[in-house]
Amino acid sequence: MKGKIVKYYPLIPVYIAYLILFLIGINVSGMWQLVAMLAFYCAIGQAFNIFLGMTGYVDFGYVAFMGVGTYGMALSISHLHQVQWLGMGIIIIGLLLALVMASLLSIAVGAVALRLRGAYFAIATIGVNEGFRFLIEGAKIWGGSEGIIFSGQLTQTFGRETASLLSTLWADIFLFFIACIAAFITIYYMRGKIGYALTALREDEDAAKVMGINVTKYKIIAFITSASLAGLVGASAWALKLTYVFPPQVFEIHYTVECIIIVLLGGAGTLLGPVVGGLVYGLTKYWLTVIVPGFQLLIFAPIIIVIIVAFPEGIVGVLKRRFKGTTFKKFII
Amino acid sequence: MIGAQLTGNLMQGLILGGIYGMATMGLSLIFGVLKVVNVGHGAFIMIGAFITLWIFTAFGLAPVIAIPVALIVGMAIGFVFFYLVMRRLIKAPELASLLATFAIGILLEEIAKLIFGSEFRGYNWAVGKIILPITVFPMSKIYAFIGSIAIALLLYIWFKKTRAGTAVRSVVEDSEGARVCGVNVGWVYALSFAIGIGLTVTSGVLLTMFIPVGINPYMGGGYTLKAFVIAVLGGLTSPYGAFFGGLIFGLIENGSYTLFALIPGVEAFAMTRFLSFLILLLILLIKPTGLLGAK
Repeated sequence: MKGKIVKYYPLIPVYIAYLILFLIGINVSGMWQLVAMLAFYCAIGQAFNIFLGMTGYVDFGYVAFMGVGTYGMALSISHLHQVQWLGMGIIIIGLLLALVMASLLSIAVGAVALRLRGAYFAIATIGVNEGFRFLIEGAKIWGGSEGIIFSGQLTQTFGRETASLLSTLWADIFLFFIACIAAFITIYYMRGKIGYALTALREDEDAAKVMGINVTKYKIIAFITSASLAGLVGASAWALKLTYVFPPQVFEIHYTVECIIIVLLGGAGTLLGPVVGGLVYGLTKYWLTVIVPGFQLLIFAPIIIVIIVAFPEGIVGVLKRRFKGTTFKKFII
Repeated sequence: MIGAQLTGNLMQGLILGGIYGMATMGLSLIFGVLKVVNVGHGAFIMIGAFITLWIFTAFGLAPVIAIPVALIVGMAIGFVFFYLVMRRLIKAPELASLLATFAIGILLEEIAKLIFGSEFRGYNWAVGKIILPITVFPMSKIYAFIGSIAIALLLYIWFKKTRAGTAVRSVVEDSEGARVCGVNVGWVYALSFAIGIGLTVTSGVLLTMFIPVGINPYMGGGYTLKAFVIAVLGGLTSPYGAFFGGLIFGLIENGSYTLFALIPGVEAFAMTRFLSFLILLLILLIKPTGLLGAK
């Protein structure tokens, strides 16, 4: 029994970090926006890490899952707001729809793209992301290129006050919730059979196959898990918060790149990595926007290049080496 | 009526396709040799476009003059980024090289924004036109097409007839084997990256000769995605495959646009893009060596 709990010790620093972040957000006035942004980056980093960090496959079309999640929530609110007795139920249905749509898309994409490796996989996933976006725009599915705007329906159903509270507070709190779940799933996978199988796969896929590991099964599990969490992030951080969906925005490749940066910065395949990466990335981005507005990318791009070249194992990777053999080791994975 | 329109558009598509193909050769060359996907590809095309604009507006010289300038500037940029960044990432996982090339692309876009601002620009190089019954070709488009064929041919000759070209081909085939046979693989990497970038920047010149408007620091994104589809059509590792992939892509793009425009209730432009990514996925699944590639 004790062994089972020890397994989850590394969650402690992660949850403490989230708690501190949350407390700062609600107690210090004017900080909530920044805290919400950091929670978004941590949540999406952790969700992405479950696939990218554990398998080493680079899904360059990851934002598509956030995109369909956003659509899930948007469709629920815009179609079901007339059903009076549902009340808050439409938000729950929206989240479920986001979850289902993201996992369905990930099953479809996974069945196709996971046959490919390396750069071919990355290109295929970009293709899926762009193809899906242009299908929505071209065939005029779900409002086509005009997207769906549902702020009116939201205020109409819940009243002005509740609707604004949903966008400015509950959407962000839900992000913390997703981040916590993602952290738990990460450690659950890492310390279970799937984690060992994926480590073997990441090091040498052919060898793992020869050893009798069903690599396809574990790859798909990690892919679907990661995608479903992305769907939830999209449903809350984009749909509920912005109250509209606009295809060029929810399929924008820059968000995928942000996820990759967060995971790589913190340390791919570690539990703490995406949290550290999300905080460092979010704070740096915020800070650069404040001190050099309009030129943040000009300064950020070379920083990223230097990090990739100098610290490919990420911040947590470096820490792990530093604290090897000490008591802290238990908490840093 | 629609037949004539389709034929006219296909002719335009073939010419544009030749330029697309040339614009993808650099991507395929770099992937073939270094096994790195240059996600910042479009930013280099953008540099070529700005070089053309600068040469045309500041000196009043024909855009054709920009071709050698772009090639030299592009190769210089290629060498700089190779020795500063890419050299260290050849053996690294895909993650690192994908992110690095993307970041290089962003860096170039932001530098261009700093220098030129982010508004759309264009130029007008009027050198007459050929009027056919079904379509009209401005001479600048014809020159761009001839230019891209000439560059593709020169690259072909360089590959097949020179020592350096043979060394590059040997590394594409088997880099370990090439090293054993005394090929300086490190130099081949550097040279291929520089030539790949040089070709890409040059293709920016040709593309603006075809479409002389819409020059903007962020114009490259769409071309990056098109280049992926074209490179996959050509088998990803072969520059000539990419050239023929470009011809095919130009025909598909223009042909399908004409046909989609006939269907009521769809946005023809977006459906064309959708079709191209559908093709990308199908090729990757069914024949990853490309349409022309051997098994």
